[in-house]
Amino acid sequence: MFKHHLKLFFRNLLKYKSTFLINIIGLSTGLACVVLIALWVVDELQFDGFHQKDTQLYQVWNRFESPEGLRVLSWTPELLAETMADKLPEVQYATGQTLPEWFPKMPLTVDGQITKAPGIFADTDYFHIFSYELLQGDENQVLTGTNSIVISESLGRRLFGTLEGVVGKTIQWEAMGNQGQQQVSGVFKDIPQNSSNRFDFILPYQLWKNAVVNNGGDLAWTSNNPSTYIVLAEGTDPTLFAQKIKNFSKQQDQEVTAELVMTKYSSNYLYGNFENGQQASGRMDYVYLFSLIALFILIIACINFMNLSTANATRRLKEIGVKKALGSQRSTLIKQYFGESMMTASFSLLLALVLVLLFIPVFNSITGKVLALQFNWPTVLGMVTVVLFTGLLAGSYPAFHLSRFNPVIVLKGNLKSALGEVWVRKGLVVFQFSLSIILIIAVLLVYQQVDFVQSKNLGLNKDNVLYFTQEGKLKQNTEPFLNEIRQLNGVVNAATASQNIIGTDINMTGGLMWSGNEEQKRTRFNEMRIGHDFIETMDMRLKEGRAFSKDFATDSTAIVFNETAIDLMGLQDPIGKNVTYGNVVYTIIGVLNDFHFQSLRKKVNPMFFRLQQKTIRSEIVVRISNAEQQEALAALSEKYARFNPGYVFEYTFLDANFQAEYVAEKRVASLSKYFAGLAILISCLGLFGLATFTAERRRKEIGIRKVLGQSAAQVALMLSGEFAKLVFMAILVALPVSYLLASDWLSGFAYRIPLSIWYFIGAGIMALLVAILTVGSQAIRAATKNPVNALRDQ
Amino acid sequence: MLLQLNNIFKWVQQGGQRVFLLKDLNLKVEEGEFISIMGPSGSGKSTLLNVIGMLDGFDEGEYHFLDESVHTLKEKHRSELYKQYIGFVFQAYHLIDELTVYENLEMPLLYKKINGSERKAMVADMLDRFNIVGKKDLFPTQLSGGQQQLVGVARALITKPKLILADEPTGNLNSQQGEDIMELFKELNNEGVTIIQVTHSEKNAKYGSRIIHLLDGRKIEG
Repeated sequence: MFKHHLKLFFRNLLKYKSTFLINIIGLSTGLACVVLIALWVVDELQFDGFHQKDTQLYQVWNRFESPEGLRVLSWTPELLAETMADKLPEVQYATGQTLPEWFPKMPLTVDGQITKAPGIFADTDYFHIFSYELLQGDENQVLTGTNSIVISESLGRRLFGTLEGVVGKTIQWEAMGNQGQQQVSGVFKDIPQNSSNRFDFILPYQLWKNAVVNNGGDLAWTSNNPSTYIVLAEGTDPTLFAQKIKNFSKQQDQEVTAELVMTKYSSNYLYGNFENGQQASGRMDYVYLFSLIALFILIIACINFMNLSTANATRRLKEIGVKKALGSQRSTLIKQYFGESMMTASFSLLLALVLVLLFIPVFNSITGKVLALQFNWPTVLGMVTVVLFTGLLAGSYPAFHLSRFNPVIVLKGNLKSALGEVWVRKGLVVFQFSLSIILIIAVLLVYQQVDFVQSKNLGLNKDNVLYFTQEGKLKQNTEPFLNEIRQLNGVVNAATASQNIIGTDINMTGGLMWSGNEEQKRTRFNEMRIGHDFIETMDMRLKEGRAFSKDFATDSTAIVFNETAIDLMGLQDPIGKNVTYGNVVYTIIGVLNDFHFQSLRKKVNPMFFRLQQKTIRSEIVVRISNAEQQEALAALSEKYARFNPGYVFEYTFLDANFQAEYVAEKRVASLSKYFAGLAILISCLGLFGLATFTAERRRKEIGIRKVLGQSAAQVALMLSGEFAKLVFMAILVALPVSYLLASDWLSGFAYRIPLSIWYFIGAGIMALLVAILTVGSQAIRAATKNPVNALRDQ
Repeated sequence: MLLQLNNIFKWVQQGGQRVFLLKDLNLKVEEGEFISIMGPSGSGKSTLLNVIGMLDGFDEGEYHFLDESVHTLKEKHRSELYKQYIGFVFQAYHLIDELTVYENLEMPLLYKKINGSERKAMVADMLDRFNIVGKKDLFPTQLSGGQQQLVGVARALITKPKLILADEPTGNLNSQQGEDIMELFKELNNEGVTIIQVTHSEKNAKYGSRIIHLLDGRKIEG
């Protein structure tokens, strides 16, 4: 019996190659898409989850009240971790840690050779808390004292060329004007790709504390810098514990206003946003979104399969009739059809796997991940499940529907489909096309918005600006260096600043007081210290007043605000008025037109600038002319080498930081481009199948119409028109849905494109055109057939 | 007695009215009979044949086949019954185009769950008996109409049924081919197989031992 079914399957397949091809293409692209998304989703879900103490590993955050509502920040007191470990029995281990992005390129010197690498400062129990594997060194010892440094495998190779006998070797470091000599105490395995915390070396926490003190700070409960991570003792109820530590900082020091919040470390990656001080959504939204898209694409592909199988089945009705007349049970037929759909699904999976292997590099470059197809048990099991699901779903309709027919009716060939069945089929087409249209609109919109962001006048000129860190000898002779490079060909201007203006978290501060607001210290401003000429270098525009100038000795107590800050403070004629900050009275000398220093998702925050004194750390910003880029860079590099021997001239363009702000949007844009293309492709395959099916069904009708004198063109028009109606309905369904989705997405941007009707009309027309092209060929074929053939065989 | 129909009614609703396909039909068939059913188009010949073959139901009346009351049987039992005792021959042959002659003949045996070696022997027997051994690997579309119908008859016979139902078996054949098939039927009948055929041809009808005339769903003669 099985052999018979197999033979029938293959012979039918050879006979109706196009149907089989459409099925295979549709299903395999759908499945490939599902596999890719599944890889991505699994990777996302497992992110940061590899630490052995994952279930007990938590991060502690500070929660402040601010005018914008509750704010949750990772910046916590230096003292927090050790005090918690000390005073709370539930805390098994605790560590403070500086964020890797604070020192992404810390210069390390070995034998006079400088290498830059991202590093952190962390406390002694760090390796008890996080499961970064130590290749050399003892996890109890590696971070004790102030002389040690733990480095990654790859950094070890970069610094010493080998890992043999690395322990005990000396490395010099330099950060925030502090420096020291460390001995390598351990080597850890490179941090896996699915870790959000990525760095190449760890310095002892004590060095960080020293640096803070050296830079004029103090280790107080009101001084917030590092992140705090804790491991709870086994059996601790995290909810109760979170309650208990809410006021922990306040209890240590009355000056503290912040409460403590606790989140599971591995949940931070997917739920990175805080709403009203509570951990809320984040990347998990994308996980849901893409899972949904995968499911939809799979369903669309299955729908096609069903539609095509039923269409094909009208050709096979005789087989069903004969089999039933010869005594075949209905269950046998059901099994046969499920068997066929399973086989098609398995074929498609094989093809899908080939597609996945082909496209995984592209997918990786879009998603910024390093995914690979691995054939382990869970994966194989998952794939078998998907094939079963697809086979069952896709085969269900032909299996149950077709096997039901009465053989007498089938053999007479006058099978009429129920009204409901027709509606289901049309509904499925409408559903497919609605989804395609929504995806087209999404693509149009995302592209327009990203384009808008790129071309919007930011209020400062981000192009042709490069920056690099002031380090080594450059710290001593900054002014001469700046003066010399300003003279260089192709250099427009140059200045210093406390930090890079785009792409970093600009320092936030409260405690600014102005007249009418002596008590209220809570308003939080972004604050930067800048050198002379910074405002000019960045091409920011003054609304009133002036920028900092060397001609005014009093400018050391001058302050420049942005427009938003002045509006917020409600100052009339602000120039010349005084504000107090940190017990110093500053005079307002200028107001800048608002400029965007954050993503356009956010409204411009109030901000002020003060002149740079001796700074903690500093960046040098240079504007070069577009025309003479190469010359300018060469000349800069030469000057740099002369002023700062031993260091490599490493610079970054500001524009790159700006682009990095929109990585997520760009990924969504290019992914949705592919998904939209795929959805349309699969939908068109479905439409094509349905058109074939209809033409087949209405063969006789078309024959009669032609005999009675209707022209081929009229028939073709009639057939295509029917599908055009369906696509119209799909447009009607898609428009409100996409409108809601679009406004929701755009509302995430404080600065956005207006929602124009043309996106919707454009997407509709596109879908309609594609549909008509697809159906047209079939309609014309059906219409030009000789009617005699259709009418003869009864 | 092989089968007996008592007061069989079959109708369809059309525009709120009952249109009778079979009306108060009584028929008794003994084993070994060769019956021809005749009548104009739409008189219910094929419907009657389908009712007898249990492919189609009826609305009123009783149907006894051997010792079973067909009208009280569940679908599954009915199919067991006709699988065992009835073979069908169709006007349009209804061979499965994607299967070879051999595979077509084998198919009914699969549904009777007969094992492989026995199946082989039975198919070989049939091929031999109908002189189509040389055609066993051909597909139906490679055969002439007469040859296809020969395969159709062979397929009907392979399960050794008591009753063969033939719906205009020669309708698509030329006169020589038709005659061959009718001779074959006669031969089978002589071997003890009961045959009921629907036919338009007086000449073919005469092969039978009894002729039943239908008009508007009623039996008017025979």
